[in-house]
Amino acid sequence: MITAPAPAEILGIGAITPLGRDLAVIAKNLAAKPPARGEMLRVADDLLSEPAIARSMRRADRFIRMAAIAALDAWNQAAPSCADIAREQIGLIVTSGLGPHCRGFKFLDGILDAGDSNALPTDFSHSVHGAAASYIAGLLDLRGPSLTATDFEIGFEQAVLLAQCWLQQGTCRRVLVGSVEELGEPMISMTKKLLAGKESIAPAEGAVFLMLAPSDVAGIATLDAATVPDKTDLLASEYPSIAPDAGATPQIAAARSTTFTPYFGHSASSSAMQLLGALLSIPVVDNATTFRTSCGKVAALHVSMT
Amino acid sequence: MTGDPLMARTPVCITGIGVVSGAGADVRATLQTFASGRPTPSNSLPFESTVACPTFQVSADLPILPPRYSNSRSLRLTMLAVQQAMESAGIAKFDPNVRVGICIGTTVACQLNNVPFYAAYRRDPDRPMDAVVDYLHANLARAVGDLLGTSGPRMTIVNACSSGTDAIGVAASWMRAGLCDVAIAGGADELSRVALAGFWSLGVMSQQPCAPFDRDRTGLNLGEGAGIIVLETAAHALLRGKTHQFELAGFGAACDAHHLTAPHPEGRGLGAAIAAALAQADIQPRQVAFINAHGTATPDNDRAEGKVISRIFGDGVPFLSTKGFTGHTLGAAGGIEAVFTLLGLREGWVPASAGFKNQADDVPLSPTRNRTEIRGEYALSTSLAFGGNNSVVLVRRVA
Repeated sequence: MITAPAPAEILGIGAITPLGRDLAVIAKNLAAKPPARGEMLRVADDLLSEPAIARSMRRADRFIRMAAIAALDAWNQAAPSCADIAREQIGLIVTSGLGPHCRGFKFLDGILDAGDSNALPTDFSHSVHGAAASYIAGLLDLRGPSLTATDFEIGFEQAVLLAQCWLQQGTCRRVLVGSVEELGEPMISMTKKLLAGKESIAPAEGAVFLMLAPSDVAGIATLDAATVPDKTDLLASEYPSIAPDAGATPQIAAARSTTFTPYFGHSASSSAMQLLGALLSIPVVDNATTFRTSCGKVAALHVSMT
Repeated sequence: MTGDPLMARTPVCITGIGVVSGAGADVRATLQTFASGRPTPSNSLPFESTVACPTFQVSADLPILPPRYSNSRSLRLTMLAVQQAMESAGIAKFDPNVRVGICIGTTVACQLNNVPFYAAYRRDPDRPMDAVVDYLHANLARAVGDLLGTSGPRMTIVNACSSGTDAIGVAASWMRAGLCDVAIAGGADELSRVALAGFWSLGVMSQQPCAPFDRDRTGLNLGEGAGIIVLETAAHALLRGKTHQFELAGFGAACDAHHLTAPHPEGRGLGAAIAAALAQADIQPRQVAFINAHGTATPDNDRAEGKVISRIFGDGVPFLSTKGFTGHTLGAAGGIEAVFTLLGLREGWVPASAGFKNQADDVPLSPTRNRTEIRGEYALSTSLAFGGNNSVVLVRRVA
């Protein structure tokens, strides 16, 4: 197993999920019964408007809005601990599996319907994976390194690991890390056929962002990533789950193994959603202070509540 | 723990290079093209499109991959460059005990940009989803790692046109953190009908061979290819008796936070990225022997980039754009041009900046007009991208 260079502190959490946007609301909904198995889990449309950034979001689609709102909430929660940090020293890492695929297909529709020479430039510019990061950097005036990465399973763990590297090496003093996934046609119909026989899988969407700092800054929790890529078959892979951290204290070892997938569904952002669920509910339910989220056998996030 | 800049300053060895582009199918062919000074754009496209613009295409035989992977041209381009890079590094196969990081930048390979499939799907939604399955298995870093059987961190960077440069920076960061002993890093992209239509829609494509930094430049040409470097810790290179000629001395990245598609007019982020790379290497601008500029030949890019080069380096450092030889290869550009930069240091010369004829009023400097001899240890390669991303690699010749 690869171990991360040094853990990072979580200063702020922002999320927009099928369970809501407000963290207290999400936590409350996690204590209730989950949606029926296999149900498609979407973010409520009314959560996609945020007056504070409405003007900047005029051309933004669902993918960008989810990312921007979650990033804004993480930023706002972390603001007191970032006030003296120059914007050049704040990095941004966004990860997504499918990226803004709805806008991408809209651009393809433009090519097929209007011709290659007449498709809309705004559809093209908003269809690239990095569009969300660009909006976030502009909204928050983040001028450090800005990176978008893609993976269908462990993108979030990869992003956290890189953030830890940047913080340890002094590349940045803060890193805003997030994962975003959008649910829409025609990808829903396309993947439905591939998931035949796996009806318990609930396609989902949402975004989770964390503001991370070096470990000498007091935060909400300590986060440490490890990734071990293997030859996992994407369509057969296990989905993230939460487990007691091996070798931890008796209190932690007593914590239950669980998964938040019934609440957040399945997407390339599942790892981020699992972490969110764990951060919001495990300390309350099990009084645990340390736990691990894992994505099959390929990646893990170790968390210590502070 | 507030961060350890000294850790970031630890040089990383470069022990292998591989490159394929419209300028040549390997290093030797590329140098021949550079020496000739004659770019070879094509006026025909490998797909149907109503957009008529010159492009730079790869005509090399690409590796045949297992069926699951073989429909991704970007992956096949990547594997050709990876094979070349491993051969030049003297690595036939990776020892399973060696931790190998894989970090590849791309733009086209991360999207289901298969127009014929999508057109057929619109007519018949019940058709087979083979193209979707292929797409789900075409994540470049994951696929390269699987094909090579490596264990170590993997990441596919999708930072638009700076992706290849960013991938090199990420791999170096992993190595300095002790996450891997060797890394394969760079970028790859195939020529795509969607990218062609997209850049056309933005009004930034030229219908003539591109002319970076020229007074009469009218936009970019698209290209395809892959550029890969093998990074290695000094300890690992020493262990296998490999002497290295180059180091990655510095990397810098900064965001303009300005506009989705246009660079900051004064090149704010690019200036910060260059400053970060110079600081990481602990050198002064005058120590840079030459700059392989991003130089897309769009009015905005070349204006902003020219201002920054002039501001930081004055008029004493030669610079060029190689996109007149390759076209803009998007996510591959940073990897390809990192290799070109190493070749400039190795060979001791850089070519004339293809397409340039006349000094532009809005660019304070002129790129190389002729083959130019190079003396010095350090060279820079710059990348600017959608989203306001700016990334810079600074390489050093050590032997």
